[in-house]
Amino acid sequence: MRRRGHPHSIKTILSVAIASVSILFTVLVSTILYVQFSATIRNNATISTREIVRQINANLNYYTTDILSIATYARDLAKQTDTLNRAQIEERLASIVNSRQDIVCLLLFKTDGTLLLSTNDAPLRPKNEIIGQQWFERALGKEGNFYFTGPHVQQLFKSAYPWVITYSQQITYRTEEGELDRALLVIDMNFWAVSELVQTARLGKSGYVYFIDNDGKIVYHPYQQLINSNLFNEDIASVQEHIFGTFHTTFEARERLVIVDTVNNARWRIVGVAFIDELMAGLKRYTAIMAAVLLLCIVITIFIARSIASYISRPIRELERLMNSVERGNFSAPPTVGGSQEVAALSETFAVMVRRIRTLMDDIVTSQEAKRKFELDALQAKINPHFLYNTLDSVVWMAEQGDSEGVIRMVTSLAKLFRISISKGRDIITIAEELEHVRNYLIIQQIRYQDKFTFSIEIEAGCEHLPTVKLIVQPIVENAIYHGIKYLQEMGTIAIRVHRRKPGAIVIEVRDNGVGMSEETLNRLLDFNSPQPKRMGFGVRNVHQRIQLYWGSDYGLEISSELDEGTLVRLIIPEQRPITPLKGVST
Amino acid sequence: MKRIAPLFLLTVALLVACTPKQTVTTAKIAVITMMQGGEFWGALKSGARTARTATSAILEFLAPINEADYEGQIRAVEQAIEQNFDAIILSPSHYTRLKDVVAKARTKGIKVVFADTALIGQSSDFLITADYRQIGLDMATHAFSLFGDDEQINALIIGSLPNTTTMTNLVESLSEALRSRPNTRIVSSTFSFSDEAIAYNIASNALQHEPSINMVFALEEYTAGGIAQALADRAGIRFIALGNTRYEIQLLEEGIIDALVVVNAFNLGYRSILAAVDLLEGKKPAHQPVDWALVTKDSMFSEAHQRLLFQTVQ
Repeated sequence: MRRRGHPHSIKTILSVAIASVSILFTVLVSTILYVQFSATIRNNATISTREIVRQINANLNYYTTDILSIATYARDLAKQTDTLNRAQIEERLASIVNSRQDIVCLLLFKTDGTLLLSTNDAPLRPKNEIIGQQWFERALGKEGNFYFTGPHVQQLFKSAYPWVITYSQQITYRTEEGELDRALLVIDMNFWAVSELVQTARLGKSGYVYFIDNDGKIVYHPYQQLINSNLFNEDIASVQEHIFGTFHTTFEARERLVIVDTVNNARWRIVGVAFIDELMAGLKRYTAIMAAVLLLCIVITIFIARSIASYISRPIRELERLMNSVERGNFSAPPTVGGSQEVAALSETFAVMVRRIRTLMDDIVTSQEAKRKFELDALQAKINPHFLYNTLDSVVWMAEQGDSEGVIRMVTSLAKLFRISISKGRDIITIAEELEHVRNYLIIQQIRYQDKFTFSIEIEAGCEHLPTVKLIVQPIVENAIYHGIKYLQEMGTIAIRVHRRKPGAIVIEVRDNGVGMSEETLNRLLDFNSPQPKRMGFGVRNVHQRIQLYWGSDYGLEISSELDEGTLVRLIIPEQRPITPLKGVST
Repeated sequence: MKRIAPLFLLTVALLVACTPKQTVTTAKIAVITMMQGGEFWGALKSGARTARTATSAILEFLAPINEADYEGQIRAVEQAIEQNFDAIILSPSHYTRLKDVVAKARTKGIKVVFADTALIGQSSDFLITADYRQIGLDMATHAFSLFGDDEQINALIIGSLPNTTTMTNLVESLSEALRSRPNTRIVSSTFSFSDEAIAYNIASNALQHEPSINMVFALEEYTAGGIAQALADRAGIRFIALGNTRYEIQLLEEGIIDALVVVNAFNLGYRSILAAVDLLEGKKPAHQPVDWALVTKDSMFSEAHQRLLFQTVQ
């Protein structure tokens, strides 16, 4: 969790700002488009559905008008019995009926059910069965009015049960005697042929058209069989409520578009039912695509926002990185970054600042180094007079004793000692020269301390000409004598040994059998950060610092010591290429 | 970029998911009736076909030629199993012999819906049938109405297949109902194996040996046809039959058949397909018995009955 008040990065702020504005805009546009498109689709779906229903109605109208014209023709013929006999009239009517698949038969009955004309030769049912039928009863006594029944099983001929729609009308005919009488004209249309007019039309995927009569009874329904078996329910109630026009209703959890229109010639109403979910399927598809595109837009927007934010914030981050690097002490990196004008200017200013700091720091280092050199020089200068005084005092003493050999030995050693000390002002000399220096120092001290100790110097073959900082062994040896051997009752020994230590290091060991050091003293000596001890350790620490000054912190001194056992000091220096020794210094 | 990549992948995945596609799972359903012909099975198949439009299922109709050929029906089920149908609508023509093959189909994950008949002691995924016990009762009740209260009834019952659940139920309930009336005797109760000739022979022989027979029940359309021929020159024998063939309707009109019991086989076919699709979609189909009607000459053209009676006569 981000802490409260924790500042956000420029990149985040920019990303969020750009992305939110763009996304808001995109969503707004999408919403407006969706609303518009949705309304248009709904509108178009309604219009096209209404058009289909209207078309079916027109087809049906055309069809019923056609039947009416046949009826008119039959009516006219029925009055021409004076010129045409029954067979001729039947023949003319039969030629019409037979030319059409949709008409099953055309008959003319007397009002008592007696057959007058028929286009079908099949044996007829008895009169009483015919006059009781709905189409007969309804048309009778209403001259001129015609009726269309709903689909039903024909009950005119024996053993024939076609599904028909019956047209019936009471007409006037001329009897063979020439008198006018009332009769009933019947045209049976094949129901399946008529239903073809309706069934072929599809409203959406599963929409349909059905017909109801004035009483709201279904005349024709494509799912009649399912309705009979209670497998399908029709929403007659809402159609009865609306009577005419277009309306939306929800029936059995499905929203439907219902179009009601009146059918000409028959007292029926046509009802078109289309399901909104099917009509709006296009919208669904559109919505899915739109959502996908919207999502893509959002992702691209986020990507672009991040890119822009990155472009702006990257140089700032880079500058921050450089600053951090400088903070950690790295002044060498060239602190300039690109990017925008402001950042570039800032970077340039920073670079100038860093350069200035580097110059100042270099100055400090130089002055510090100089200071240290002065200190070292001072140290050497401080040791030498004291030592020289003691030595010369010994020489005087030996001269008074007449020990001229001792005087020669001492003075010779002293000369060699100084020869190497000076070493033409060089700081680096060979190990052999360094050891020679120590040897002379030890010889002088041996004479001074009247053979209170012996010493040995060993050097591994091949190490003689390797370089070392000069005058690093002598202070250690001096310490060994002054703080170790001087207090010893028995004979002291100082063993100096030079050998290689892998990888690439040279170890100069100085081992004495002096009084040693307590652990506490040793720790204080080893802790080079502690305040300098007054007497002991000053030289030792100086040696350590000089080695590290030259070769880094991997090198320096290792000291181990035990009380009454002695001390072992290891000077570790890197193994480097051999150098040429100073001329005139014998090794 | 690394953080953007998964976002892009997600978007592409969503785009693919959103891409409009026709997700119509077309169920492959085998409809295995007892025989290829017959008005009853024709209506059942017609109902199934209508349901095909509503469910967009793929249907294949399989059946032996003869109703009694349960071996042929077993082969048809085997065939449906081999052809990896998703569901099988089956009217088993033997209530035990088809057990193994039905079990095999169900083990293969094929949904089995029994239409009209079932197996004894073995459940299917679903069963759709009419209440044949009630039909038997109503046939008996109607038969009683044709006779005076004290009149003796000597009945002949001829069913179709002896080893089907519907026939067993129907014959049992009809016999029980008949026995419940005094002065009623079941002269013979037998089966024609849905063969018109066998039915004719049974009826002729029975009438010859037992001239007192005055009530005949034909429990299947072919049987009714055979019996009708045997009754041709005999008057005064009451006749109640199952079915709605054109011939039976004519016989009803002519007064030879007193009443026809019509089971809505269209409904049977339609609902069994819906049930199969429901089962395949993991839904539970609703239990509702198939409707049927006892139609007499007087009611045959009534609006309610003519659609049932003439549903296959066009």
